[in-house]
Amino acid sequence: MTVCIQEDVFDVEKIISNIRKNKSNIGAIVSFIGYVREFNKSKKTKKLLQMDLEYYPGMTEKALNKIELNAKSKWQLEDVYIIHRIGKLKPTEPIVAVVVASEHRKSAFEACEFIIDFLKTDAPFWKKEISDQQIESWVEGRDEDYKKRETWNLHK
Amino acid sequence: MKINVLFFASVREMVGINAKEVDIQDSENSPHKLLNFLIKSEQGLWISLHKDKHLIRLAINQELADWNDLLSDGDELAFFPPITGG
Repeated sequence: MTVCIQEDVFDVEKIISNIRKNKSNIGAIVSFIGYVREFNKSKKTKKLLQMDLEYYPGMTEKALNKIELNAKSKWQLEDVYIIHRIGKLKPTEPIVAVVVASEHRKSAFEACEFIIDFLKTDAPFWKKEISDQQIESWVEGRDEDYKKRETWNLHK
Repeated sequence: MKINVLFFASVREMVGINAKEVDIQDSENSPHKLLNFLIKSEQGLWISLHKDKHLIRLAINQELADWNDLLSDGDELAFFPPITGG
């Protein structure tokens, strides 16, 4: 179980080989990687120059650990990695990785989706977009994220 | 009692500070009452925070909380906008 908040870019191949080291019972690994998009569909003319990611030191780590523990209590998992970047990111760079290992694929698929869904609503990170026109704007929370979280039918 | 108040993201930019130690009466023991106290004693930027109250999320001692939850001496209270990570 690993939770990591870092400025540096991460290497998912390396995470996977770390997970598989000394473990012979892993039958499935599912990974989700989120990236910075260069264009925002809802704001058609807006080209992104940079994305700034802020977090709440202390609370964010706690929130991610809690999500990971909830996933582990719901599914039989061999290992979980959650890596989230902070600081200044450029378009096409990776932001977040969730890597889940289990004996069989169903648990890994479901737990990976569960973790990213809860990360979206429960882990305090905030994105600020800076456009190529140097216009700064905070990204607004999406109702869909909360609706998706509700589908897991689990109380915080 | 003393409450350590933190601000993040757009809320931090709105109030112009990262943190503030607030000394309040024991009876003002909720985020809602603390904000009213700040408005009464300092006015200014706290009024705009109050205006956007419905958009603001909060945490007490690093756990998501509500405006009417209880505060105790030495608590850490944070105000921030809806989460947008991932």
